[in-house]
Amino acid sequence: MSESDPPVVLIVEDEPDVAETYKLWLQGDYEVRMGQNGDEGLELLDESVDVVLLDRMMPGLSGDEVLSEIRERDLGCRVAMVTAVEPDFDILEMGFDAYLSKPIRSEQLHDTVTNLLERSEYDSLLQEYYALVEKQATLEATKSSAELAESDQYTELTEEIAEMRDGLDDTLGGIEDDDDFIATLRGLSNGEDE
Amino acid sequence: MYDLSSVLDFDALAEVRPGSSILVSGPAMIGKEKLVYDILADGAKGGDGAVVVTTSDKAANVVDEFRERVPELQGAQLGVVDCRGEGGANPELIDGVSVHQVSSPGDLTGIGIGITKALEGLHDSGRERGRLALVSLSTMLTYTDKKTVFKFCHVLSSRLDAAGYIGVFTIDSGAHDQQTIQVIKQAFDGLIDIRDADGGGREARVLGLANEPTDWKRI
Repeated sequence: MSESDPPVVLIVEDEPDVAETYKLWLQGDYEVRMGQNGDEGLELLDESVDVVLLDRMMPGLSGDEVLSEIRERDLGCRVAMVTAVEPDFDILEMGFDAYLSKPIRSEQLHDTVTNLLERSEYDSLLQEYYALVEKQATLEATKSSAELAESDQYTELTEEIAEMRDGLDDTLGGIEDDDDFIATLRGLSNGEDE
Repeated sequence: MYDLSSVLDFDALAEVRPGSSILVSGPAMIGKEKLVYDILADGAKGGDGAVVVTTSDKAANVVDEFRERVPELQGAQLGVVDCRGEGGANPELIDGVSVHQVSSPGDLTGIGIGITKALEGLHDSGRERGRLALVSLSTMLTYTDKKTVFKFCHVLSSRLDAAGYIGVFTIDSGAHDQQTIQVIKQAFDGLIDIRDADGGGREARVLGLANEPTDWKRI
């Protein structure tokens, strides 16, 4: 996701009216793709997709099957399940990052997509944070404490790390609930590391 | 605040802020596990919840250990996340304590789900305070790279912060290079270092939890 391109949301939904409504709501802020069924959804799915809104009950490939294919392909995208009934099972354990129960309001949809994008942003910030910490550790391992005290590079790094640490917790609200926690962890083990 | 000074006598441990995560580092067989179990047991005696994430001890042994240390322990007060990958997929109940099985120490999402369930269980039984121990990061580091473990620790610390819990995580300082330890340390608010003292016995110091690091002190 580069800074100039809007994030990509893929809607997989078999009811055209419903899909169009979601698209209307989202298209101002995101690039929206639409698949009418699971097979079409999987065809439209590539590295550039950030968030998938996946209808659970569709003719043909079910939402669950599409999800396992997404996880199988090891794509870094976040998946929200859209369902007519409140799920009676553990959506996190199923591999979904969030769920929305119909009927969905515009605000709710926006909140969910924003939150899922923040999970990805959190992970890339963590990635940057790690790179700094690793650099610092390398300096610490190779230089004496006297040398470190005199090194501007080390001082700058230390400050940058402290700033970033606060930023990780504050700007993105840290990890507020279980969904955030699991979605972020899933990102870590989903091969987002280069 | 959490008072850990009754377990390890340092002023810096007398008022540990809720949400703090502490790394317990030292060579093998120095008593890191005993220390973190003591920290959890001491809390449990005062009514705190306890979560143990284990990569080496059998869940049943962890439960026994706690029953021995805290005879008045209530089942709903302890949750165990067993990451050895030897149990089935379903949660089980050992001696009244719920145990969540994870397929391997490298399955971070699974560990997260186990912790979530354990926290839920404690929350449902009305525990608002609690302590989590993870034993040990060294095992996790053999299953996955240090970057991923670092990120995992950070994310878990953040989750504990939201819950107002404290976390204690053990690492075998002799099993990894200095750089790895330095990196992992940065994911934590504080560090308890343990080592063999000259002339026998053990000594410890505490970093990061007070303004100044403490000196080494015999324990």
